[in-house]
Amino acid sequence: MDFGILSVIIFLPMFVASLLVFMPVGPKMTRNIAFATSIVIFFLAGVVYLNFSNSGYMQFREYHEWITSYGIYYSLGIDGFSLIILMLIATLIPCAYLLLWNGRTKGYWVSMLLIQTGICGTLFAQDLFLFYFFWEAMLLPVFMIIGMFGTGNRVFSTIKITIYTIAGSLFMFICILYMGVAFFNEFGVWSFQLNDLVQITTLSRDERIWLFLGFMLAFAIKIPLFPFHTWLLETYSNSPTGGVFLLSSIMAKLGVYGIVRFVMPLFPKLYVEFAPYFVWLGIFGLIYFGIAALMQINIKKMFAYSSASHLGFIVTGIFSLNSYGMTGAAFLITAHAMATGGLFLLVGKMEWNMGIRAIPDLGGIAKKAPIFTVFFMLMLLSIVGLPGTNGFVSEFLIILGAYEFQSYAGIVSSLTVLIAASFMFWMFQRAILQESDNDVSSMVDLDKKEILGLLPLAILIIAMGVAPDLFFYKIYPTIQHYLVDILGIR
Amino acid sequence: MESNDLVYILPLLITGFGAIVLMLMSTFKTVHIRAGAGFALVFLSLAMLIDIYNLNNNGKAYSIFPFSETFGNMIVVDTFSSYFSSLIILGGILTILIGLHYFEKYKQFTVEFFSLFLFSVFGMILLVHSNELITAFISLEIASLSLYVMIGFQKVIDRRVEASFKYLVLGSLASVFFLLGIALIYAATQTTKIGEIGEFIAINIESDMTLVITGTTMILVTFLFKIAAFPFQNWALDVYDGAPLPVTSFIAATFKAAIFGFIMRLILVDFDLLRDFWDQMLVYITIFTLAYGSFLAIIQSSIKRMLVASSIVHTGYLLIGFIAIGVVGESGASSIIFYLFAYFLSAIGAFGLIAYIASEDGLRITYNDFKGFAHIRPYMAAMLSVFMLSLAGIPSTIGFVGKFYIFTGAIQAGYSVLAIFGILATLVSIYYYFRLIAIMYFYPSAHLQNVPPLKGIAPLVIGVIALLIIWGGIGNSLISYFPGVDFLIAMAKESYESLFIPLT
Repeated sequence: MDFGILSVIIFLPMFVASLLVFMPVGPKMTRNIAFATSIVIFFLAGVVYLNFSNSGYMQFREYHEWITSYGIYYSLGIDGFSLIILMLIATLIPCAYLLLWNGRTKGYWVSMLLIQTGICGTLFAQDLFLFYFFWEAMLLPVFMIIGMFGTGNRVFSTIKITIYTIAGSLFMFICILYMGVAFFNEFGVWSFQLNDLVQITTLSRDERIWLFLGFMLAFAIKIPLFPFHTWLLETYSNSPTGGVFLLSSIMAKLGVYGIVRFVMPLFPKLYVEFAPYFVWLGIFGLIYFGIAALMQINIKKMFAYSSASHLGFIVTGIFSLNSYGMTGAAFLITAHAMATGGLFLLVGKMEWNMGIRAIPDLGGIAKKAPIFTVFFMLMLLSIVGLPGTNGFVSEFLIILGAYEFQSYAGIVSSLTVLIAASFMFWMFQRAILQESDNDVSSMVDLDKKEILGLLPLAILIIAMGVAPDLFFYKIYPTIQHYLVDILGIR
Repeated sequence: MESNDLVYILPLLITGFGAIVLMLMSTFKTVHIRAGAGFALVFLSLAMLIDIYNLNNNGKAYSIFPFSETFGNMIVVDTFSSYFSSLIILGGILTILIGLHYFEKYKQFTVEFFSLFLFSVFGMILLVHSNELITAFISLEIASLSLYVMIGFQKVIDRRVEASFKYLVLGSLASVFFLLGIALIYAATQTTKIGEIGEFIAINIESDMTLVITGTTMILVTFLFKIAAFPFQNWALDVYDGAPLPVTSFIAATFKAAIFGFIMRLILVDFDLLRDFWDQMLVYITIFTLAYGSFLAIIQSSIKRMLVASSIVHTGYLLIGFIAIGVVGESGASSIIFYLFAYFLSAIGAFGLIAYIASEDGLRITYNDFKGFAHIRPYMAAMLSVFMLSLAGIPSTIGFVGKFYIFTGAIQAGYSVLAIFGILATLVSIYYYFRLIAIMYFYPSAHLQNVPPLKGIAPLVIGVIALLIIWGGIGNSLISYFPGVDFLIAMAKESYESLFIPLT
């Protein structure tokens, strides 16, 4: 039985992690091995990227029997949309490891490796059963990393996020089963393959609406979309840096990915029909979470809300039903992952040095740690959407898409992007630049490894802002495929 | 073909013979409890091997009435019964292996205990093999009576005696219903043989069926009582909690399988045509079982009681499959067969592990006693987490595949509402199962005393069960000759088919 490169990308971290658990290696060695693994995966992803032919269809298919009596296959594949998320993961994770370099225990690294397996599995799965399998299995290492290494009332927050996300995914599970049964009733064979389930014709409109909402619930909780965000604040502020980094920059994007990958092809008519609601829900989230972020005095909580605010905007993009909005959403997924991921890592470093502090207790960091400040500012500018950064390109495209969808939507979203600017700059000024009497002497500037970790992100933020086509030409055919073949627009 | 027939009932004979041998041995005070356990294991393993040999049968479903002239078709051996009987015997073997540490620690257990143990196994095997209502009643009583004594075996502990007495009184009352049901069915059909009752119903379906329906309802009451479904669940918490832990695991995992084995045969073969009468009632019973079980499980602070209460919830899941049988016989029945195996593994592992831990220091009872357990005993904590995950039905464990199976059957049968209730119960169960994992891992250890090394065979057996649970959740054709999920599902389907092999 032969396995392709995607399987290797999925299972290599898990394999390494399980070896590490059973071998008597110290935390330092574990970290080195974990880092080496992530580098290997980066190169594997590079191979995938180079061999990815420029079309809108699934590639690198893998197909093995699993539970044959129910037609469940281990089936993998990747298209342009998954490809950019894969590249994102492969690039971000080694960088993050460099920033988490010191003082983490063995369990921390093992959890990080396991989360990577879960994320990649979710990203490649083409069988809904397999997708659900990874989607929920991914929660376990997240549960462990927050519970074991988090701060504050971490046990409560872990139970809360677990129950919250499992609640969503269990209803999705029922929907998956329902579709599998519908397929069986119509065609006489069992299958949970995405390609097969899209052929179902027997479901009534009411059934479809319920199923659509069931899927959307699971993804909306993960993203999180308003009003399913109540787990967000606690989880983000109590998570350890590595956990919050993965949650915000990658796992939240998987919710968006799930909508594009599964909801869109399974329910194309409803997707178009419900698009206005979700466009406005996204814009509402942008405003609501933006205002909530303004109020925060804890940087992590502020970033949690800012993250949710941008994810709302991404949802606006994918529901805007035109190529501007969709491409913009794909851009923003990468841009936001780099900027927010980088910011959370930097804040994590600040906490590591000085303990958890509110914004008014900070200040004067720019003088103490100039390199830190430069990187911090760059990420921040990308979030705000300054021209020249990738944040600008993506936000501009989404606004354009929203405008084409409904002119009001475009106008409102273009005005409200400014909220991000206000809370970000205000925070930056108070916490980093402003001189103050607070004692920040324990703050240390970035060392070489940390600079090495952040440099690729910084370069990409600018490069993608200047020459976006260079990075994204592989996604255009996929988006055309979504719009024309699946949604039947133009 | 008489000699061939012997092979089919050999597991039954060996267990019964073993029980008598052990009883004789127990008269000698010099026989050590280990010898008793060893003998019991030998007999059970022999019976198990023969059962597996029978079950194999070149991969075909089969159905045979051994010594049909002597027994008058009262005993049937088919893939279905062999599957259940090997499950029951496996349960017996695992209970002894895991519980040995416990039995040795508390001095009250003697060799008679293992004699009774084999008698109860014998009764359960006979129950799944029985093709006749009175045989079923007798075997049910053999199993139950042995269990009553086993529960109260540590007679110096009041709780044990109380549990034993409670179970005796209520269990006997439930058995009376069974007898009355048999009488009523006999009055209407002039037969007690499964199959002949079904034929009678099929022929006389147009005429008045009141007696048969009343009789079957009586039998269902006994069934619901024994599996602790709502509204007959109140005894379960006290009895299971009062029983010694290995016995609790034996009742919860193994006895439940035996009862389901019999009642499924009865319903599928005999009363399929009349099912409409009970469907509505069973739907409500299922919903209430799920709801009440979940409620009970949340409010417990002792791990043992939580596991017991959650076993009521699992009864609810099984009942979902039981209702689905009416519409989609095959997937409903095989989902129950599969789920029973999945629950069996997880429950026997969980209870067994708790029993081992209790026999080690006797300190860890409530959730809070397990604070930081993972830092003291990482191996045990990891195993316990696997069992909790499987009970909660998280992917990559066999419990997940079991739930997938049950819910798919329910949706296929058009009972999506029940599937949604099942999902809600699962959601609640995340709380009480994950709470234990959280408490074990996320707190520093409360009492860091010297940790004695793991002793005996129990940790090994528990580890094997945990591996089986994970393999059952992900296993596929990766390793060609090792049976995985596919094999188990095929086995369940084959067992179901064997019920309908026409008599030859």
